[in-house]
Amino acid sequence: MPKVSLFIPCFVDQLNPQVGMDVVRVLRRIGYQVDFPEAQTCCGQPAFNTGYWDEARPLAERFVRIFSSAEAVVSPSGSCTTMVKVFYPELLAGTPLHDDAVALGQRMHEFTQFLVKVAKVTDVGASFPHKVTFHDSCHGLRELHLKQEPRELLKNVRGLELVDLPYGEECCGFGGAFSVKYAMISAAMGDTKAGNIEKSGAEYVTAADPSCLMHIEGILRRKKSAARTIHVASILAQTAAAGGKTA
Amino acid sequence: MSTAGQEFLRKAAEKSADLVHRGIVRWNIDQYDTGVGKGKTRFADWSAARQRCHDIKWEGVNHLDKYLLQFEQKVKENGGHVFWAENGEEARQYICDVAARHGVKKVVKSKSMVSEEIHLAAAMEKMGIEVVETDLGEFIVQLRNEPPYHIVTPAMHLNRQQVSKLFHEKLGAAETQDPPELVAIARRWLRKSFFSAEMGISGANFIIADAGMVTITTNEGNGRLSTSVPRIHVALTGIEKVIPRLQDLATLWPTLATTGTGQPITCYNTLMGGARRAGEVDGPEEFHVVLVDNGRSELLADLEQREILHCIRCGACINACPVFRNIGGHAYGVTYPGPIGSVLEPHLRGLKEYQHLSFASSLCGACTDVCPVHIELHHHLLHNRRNAIHEGTHSAAERLGIKLFRWTMMSPGRFRFFGSLGRTALRVIHGMGLEGTALDPMRPWTKDRAAPAMPRESFRDLWRKQNGVH
Amino acid sequence: MASTDNPSRERILGRIRAAVQTTAPHHDGPAGQMFVPVTDPLDRFQKECAANITECTVTADTAASAAAIANVLASLPPGEIFVQDAPELRALVSGFKDGRPLRWSSEGPPNEASEATITLCEALVAQTGSVLVSASNGGRQATVIAPVHIVFAKLNQLVPDLEAVFARVYERGIASKNSYVCLITGSSRTADIEKILIMGAHGPRRLIVVLQTGG
Repeated sequence: MPKVSLFIPCFVDQLNPQVGMDVVRVLRRIGYQVDFPEAQTCCGQPAFNTGYWDEARPLAERFVRIFSSAEAVVSPSGSCTTMVKVFYPELLAGTPLHDDAVALGQRMHEFTQFLVKVAKVTDVGASFPHKVTFHDSCHGLRELHLKQEPRELLKNVRGLELVDLPYGEECCGFGGAFSVKYAMISAAMGDTKAGNIEKSGAEYVTAADPSCLMHIEGILRRKKSAARTIHVASILAQTAAAGGKTA
Repeated sequence: MSTAGQEFLRKAAEKSADLVHRGIVRWNIDQYDTGVGKGKTRFADWSAARQRCHDIKWEGVNHLDKYLLQFEQKVKENGGHVFWAENGEEARQYICDVAARHGVKKVVKSKSMVSEEIHLAAAMEKMGIEVVETDLGEFIVQLRNEPPYHIVTPAMHLNRQQVSKLFHEKLGAAETQDPPELVAIARRWLRKSFFSAEMGISGANFIIADAGMVTITTNEGNGRLSTSVPRIHVALTGIEKVIPRLQDLATLWPTLATTGTGQPITCYNTLMGGARRAGEVDGPEEFHVVLVDNGRSELLADLEQREILHCIRCGACINACPVFRNIGGHAYGVTYPGPIGSVLEPHLRGLKEYQHLSFASSLCGACTDVCPVHIELHHHLLHNRRNAIHEGTHSAAERLGIKLFRWTMMSPGRFRFFGSLGRTALRVIHGMGLEGTALDPMRPWTKDRAAPAMPRESFRDLWRKQNGVH
Repeated sequence: MASTDNPSRERILGRIRAAVQTTAPHHDGPAGQMFVPVTDPLDRFQKECAANITECTVTADTAASAAAIANVLASLPPGEIFVQDAPELRALVSGFKDGRPLRWSSEGPPNEASEATITLCEALVAQTGSVLVSASNGGRQATVIAPVHIVFAKLNQLVPDLEAVFARVYERGIASKNSYVCLITGSSRTADIEKILIMGAHGPRRLIVVLQTGG
């Protein structure tokens, strides 16, 4: 049985644990053995993005060591996957673990990209009879070229109607510390995104990045919008047997 | 945070809440996006164009001394003057000296962002010289006494009613809702100045080493008149604008037009290599090129960020930026707004005071995506952030906070403990209806958005339940 | 100007030289052909003119060219016409008897209130429907000052694309012989008000190319 190791980002572990469990459910359903190295904590992105590279570095080194023997690592977050694949080589340039970091990057995959490109599965037997729109999270889109994979998977979800999101590739405004340091700009960007979600007529907005969804959900709730957020893994985890229950 | 940073926060807050402004910018950008989309279809291979533009600028910037010297030699061979200005003050002084020597009373200006950067107009006005902006957008913002809103479309934030009222108040023109009539008003008004000014000042989109010429990319014709009629032509440029060969323009002109305005090529691409030659019918009697450093050579020395000097000032990054789309050009408070400004201005004006521009971004990367010369703009935002921290410009409290974060995350045990503690505390506080209030530790988040529900169990709790402890 | 007048020059150059001793990383990408080659230049030129709002009239001979130019002038208000003093234009314009004042470039620059200017050009570019002019075409103001600019060109001046026009510029020394060269594409315009495209800002509102294929 093929095996994957899970990288569950720190805030998913704490605030969106269900997303992690949904990833596990889907991977097992398509025949993968899943393990979760419990030593993991955080990839270091919050420190890296705020300019504290010297504080991020030990976290990155720790991360590389924890996953050094994993054959394949899967994560339900485009931004955290990007941190490892795209930024670890720069952060660890000139250090002993640089080459290991590069090698780990090759074995690290965002969840939907893993399903489609590595597991070569586009139908995970999911059922979710709702109108859904997809928000293209920035790191995934621009750093991982994540665009078609979630759409291919969603196309095969029974009962799901995928509608276009106007300005779908425009940033939702989360941006990590930016969301609180420049909260008014972040909120305005989120407000624009929420408006477009409402324009799409979708009941749910989904994405491959839980951080975007946390921010968008917060805005939608304040706007008293009817639309709700759901992570793409949680859609894929739904089956007819589970009654297509809402997240 | 620095004074400039606080001012930025204030203006950004004001503009972020301005839905009318947001709508105007959205409308403008939609027009631009449609135009550029069409424009790119004219290329057989758009990525080949980007690559060639990158190659040309890379060659110019990485051999800057060679090409600047070649340019200077050619200009001088043709009787022109070249002045190297360390900073804005030296550039202003040189141009003011030339003006004084020639008894200049009026200057007509074709668009030049460097002239904004060095505050040239104000210096000349102090000498009693009348400075007339002749680019329509620049003319409009000059009448309003405000800086340009955008490096390509300086007045995009205004509608025709506002322009009409402005022309009525400042020029005595009859009010009109007809845009062609508004342009005609400006044409009639400005024409008088073209023919009465003693000096014309232009920028330079590129300066060409093998020809000793400066080139300006325009549509209106004001740039041509400003540099053809007055006796003196001064071309003001950053040192990084030099390109090796005239034929490089076969690539740069269409690409700049495409990303700048969505046009296949702009109406007038003008090359000027000096004062009028013997036998020429007309033209200026004197030609001066002012090469401005103002921090560029320092940026050149930064190998990691040198490519920022590749910028051809097309504005594509500004238009793509979701932060710009919400706060607009004026909120930045600097010469160059948007991503290029956020990356460049801390180098030109000082990282300590202007680092906030590099922090005020969600790092979405749309800028890097659209840049025709392949500058990795959003990565340079990160580099500026890292440099700001290394220079020790952030508070001890913040440094302690990040150290605490690292200390917590270095241990799964500490992470579990503090995570659980935090969730519990927030669940209780929010459960008491204190979300968003002064007593809410999450207030920086919750003043603008609902807090996420705080789960009772973390993922690893659920995992352990399901799979046992390892 | 002595170097003592510009001490910053050496300082700036010194910093530049020190910096560029090391080259910065280069972004590697695939080379490729940017534009589809122009196979039928005359056809392409006419199409581009239509798109950028240049009035292009193709004529077979001198008589037809003279008639085309006369036609344009007849549609204009009475007023001075400025003409580049070149043998071809002397020949084309000599037959006009409409009595309007005519000023040649040999007499000096055009009057600000000129109704129209007539010039030759250095080249035409099919790729973009552009006209390359220089100071040799009646001066700098000749091609920008009046509301109407008429360009007389011959077919052998038409080149396929921008690469070709620069090759021509190098071959003929156009940039070294002239202090001023301008690539004109369409008539003067602006979109600075509400992004609405308005023709005729400060330059000519009408650009007319009379392109003679024969004679």
